[in-house]
Amino acid sequence: MKQPMFLRLRKRLAVKPEALITMGDVCQIYWDGEREEAIKRMPIYRVKPQDGNLIIIDIMQVIQRLRSAYPEVELDIQGAPQLIVEVLNPKKNANPVLVVLVWLLLFVGSGLAIMNFHTDVSMLQVHQRIFYLITGQENKQPLWLQIPYSIGIGLGMILFFNHIFKKKINEEPSPLEVELFMYQQSLDQYYIQHENKENQRTKV
Amino acid sequence: MTIWIGLLLVIIGLGGGLAVGSGLVAFITVLDIIPRLTQLTNARRFIRAFEWSLVMGALFFTLIDFFHWRTRLPVFLTSIYGALAGVFIGTLAAGLTEVLNVFPILAKRIHMDGKLLYLLMAMVFGKVTGSLLQWFLRL
Repeated sequence: MKQPMFLRLRKRLAVKPEALITMGDVCQIYWDGEREEAIKRMPIYRVKPQDGNLIIIDIMQVIQRLRSAYPEVELDIQGAPQLIVEVLNPKKNANPVLVVLVWLLLFVGSGLAIMNFHTDVSMLQVHQRIFYLITGQENKQPLWLQIPYSIGIGLGMILFFNHIFKKKINEEPSPLEVELFMYQQSLDQYYIQHENKENQRTKV
Repeated sequence: MTIWIGLLLVIIGLGGGLAVGSGLVAFITVLDIIPRLTQLTNARRFIRAFEWSLVMGALFFTLIDFFHWRTRLPVFLTSIYGALAGVFIGTLAAGLTEVLNVFPILAKRIHMDGKLLYLLMAMVFGKVTGSLLQWFLRL
């Protein structure tokens, strides 16, 4: 009885510019325990400079390559139908000036946003009211309440993003990490749809 | 004031309270603050207690505000209240989806995926500074 060859495409692959992508890079293979090593070394794609930094390798390319080498093979394909190859260009480091600029932007912007919020909800009146209810004294500027309050805002944000207790309490990701993951996943979906020429065909 | 006007007022008050109360709960739920706090403290068993604390807090502060239940406690107690209120507003500000949605995009645009912490600290310091400036300068 003939053994089917099991193969499964990886999800993402990061390579250097002009790298030679082999079968072993793009998928996991299991066949009869002997010929896999040779198959894994089979080249499937050479990264060209004009490819940009994203390439999609479709399962059809892999099948074609395998069938041309082993016409008789029976394939059992698992997992996703395409793989995203990211070409790592060396000069992609953060520009320090830009970083400082963005830092200042966020700093000023978030400060403005919290002040807008406080005005919006009449936070000062509420503070004065709470101060009066607790102490029985009128105070136009209840700093005893307001300074801890301000520091508390910072603590609350850090708490929310889990940077003090990082990985100490549990393994769960912070909301920001989840959000980053979701964003990356949407991008990947977009690439798969738009960069893969086999996915779109206009017949006129 | 006839009984009918009184009844009308009761209905208006009850309706307004219902709308505002459910709105408050919906707002806090949308921001995922309570799940986040239970996740951090491993207190999933007490989530019911946290729900009740939210309801009781809203009710209690409404009562002391409306009925002027004034006490004469020492001033430093307002600091404890302030710190707690601040942490809450901090989680509120951090949970706003604008913040969460802007970060991944910004980080990718300037190739800072690995250094998100710096951007985060910019926002944290910005909030603290903005808030302090507002209170000190009476803006």
